[in-house]
Amino acid sequence: MSTVTWITARGLFGRRRFLLLLPLPALLLVLAVTSRSLGVDPSQWGPPVLVGLGLAVVLPVVALIVGTGVLGAEIDDGTVVHILTKPLPRWQIVLPKLAVAAGVTAATVAVPLYVAGVLAHSVRLGLALAAASALGALAYSALFLALSLVTRRPVLLGLVYVLIWEGLLGRFVDGTKVLSIQQWVIALADRMAPTDLLSTTVSVPVAAVLTALVSVGFTVLAVDRLRSFSVAGETS
Amino acid sequence: MPEPTGVIHDIGYQRYTGPRLGRRHVFGALYVHGLRTAFGLGRSAKAKIFPWLVVGIVLVVAAGVTAVRSQTGQAVMTYARFVDTMSWLVIFFVAVVAPELVSRDLRSGVLPLYFSRPLPRGDYALAKLGALVTALWLLLGAPQLVMFLGAAFTTKDGLHGVWTELGDVLPSLLYAALWALVFASVGLLIASLTSKRAFAAGGIVAAFLMTAPIVGVLSIMPSRTVNELAMLASPSFLLHAVGLWAFGDKLEPGAAADQMIGDFGPVYVGAAVLLVAGCVALLLLRYRKVAAR
Repeated sequence: MSTVTWITARGLFGRRRFLLLLPLPALLLVLAVTSRSLGVDPSQWGPPVLVGLGLAVVLPVVALIVGTGVLGAEIDDGTVVHILTKPLPRWQIVLPKLAVAAGVTAATVAVPLYVAGVLAHSVRLGLALAAASALGALAYSALFLALSLVTRRPVLLGLVYVLIWEGLLGRFVDGTKVLSIQQWVIALADRMAPTDLLSTTVSVPVAAVLTALVSVGFTVLAVDRLRSFSVAGETS
Repeated sequence: MPEPTGVIHDIGYQRYTGPRLGRRHVFGALYVHGLRTAFGLGRSAKAKIFPWLVVGIVLVVAAGVTAVRSQTGQAVMTYARFVDTMSWLVIFFVAVVAPELVSRDLRSGVLPLYFSRPLPRGDYALAKLGALVTALWLLLGAPQLVMFLGAAFTTKDGLHGVWTELGDVLPSLLYAALWALVFASVGLLIASLTSKRAFAAGGIVAAFLMTAPIVGVLSIMPSRTVNELAMLASPSFLLHAVGLWAFGDKLEPGAAADQMIGDFGPVYVGAAVLLVAGCVALLLLRYRKVAAR
């Protein structure tokens, strides 16, 4: 485990505010368990809990906070200089940070989604949701990590993507769904465990290719941006 | 022992003898400053991007709705429904502005400077809250004004038609004020807890978004009372329920309103008042503690 991985993980877990991330997955679990124990039909509670809460809110929001935090926090308080001045190739800085961000996001989201999937349908659906959300966590993390290097306001730009592009436009304009990580995750999960709980208009090959493309593309972009990174003060 | 050589020159310093403006003026200045901050006025172009992006989207939607109505003669959505439709944009706007208003001051440590003026602790928080409420109300009210003007100038019933439109838009502006009050008090409370703008923005969005699916789940529970009270779980749905109670079929066509909230309309109104009062009280408490540090 490289030193960068170590300090990134410590930067995330060492703060008390990391605990604020826990209510999101916990709520997912509570809702799934309550619905199941009260005997509500899974075809009714499945979509709002699995997709409406899990894939549309918990996954992107956790990925946003963690993904922009692994590098953005250091850029914000200026300590990123300490890493940048070490004789490390830039990819050895970006990749460990991406790994930590994707790993933490995947762990926080995949576990409750697995449990909810098992309660809703079957172990297969649970595994499919966990695997697909892990892939989604990687794509989201790469996107948000690159955002934190491209702009000085990564969280707001990320929110524009999550709220306005995926949330608002995705609901009214079908065409934008092709470029929505959320829809790719749904397509992949539906392919791995076909049920009537998940539905999307995006085809599986498109989703798989685009997920890979986004993950790799934004990582390369982040490495490239870090190569010519200039440290500046807080935006006015 | 040598003679002291230092000399004190009178270079004409004078005491301030003009009128000293009191508490009301401090409050007013903070409020105006907050309102300008909300829209990035008097600041760099970068600070204007996000607020005006939201304002732009909202106005474009309103203009589109107005255009369709003037062409086809049929209203696409009522004024109150417009407010509901914009809820995600309102969340985003709060996430942009609330951290800007309070988190920056916490981060740069200027609160002691504020509180060294004749400014009670509560006034600072209330001025910021007032600024955010006004900004949100303007955000929701301006597009309604556009829609109203469009409808008033294209109406075929003459003055009577304008009067009917006015009767529609005024309650809806009140409804928008309620939205502004609830979203501002919840958002500002969350933002005042952290000095990091990024984290405050994430927290606000998480708080508003994660509560919405709870409503979805509660509304399919096997108990009818639980279904009708489900919308208490989320601030935006709580407001929707108040709107359903107040506007009825102007918000949801047919008798859907009765099915969704049953006889619990007053409960929702009470809950909204309690939510605002609770958040404001916590905000004041928070600033008592921050000031003491």
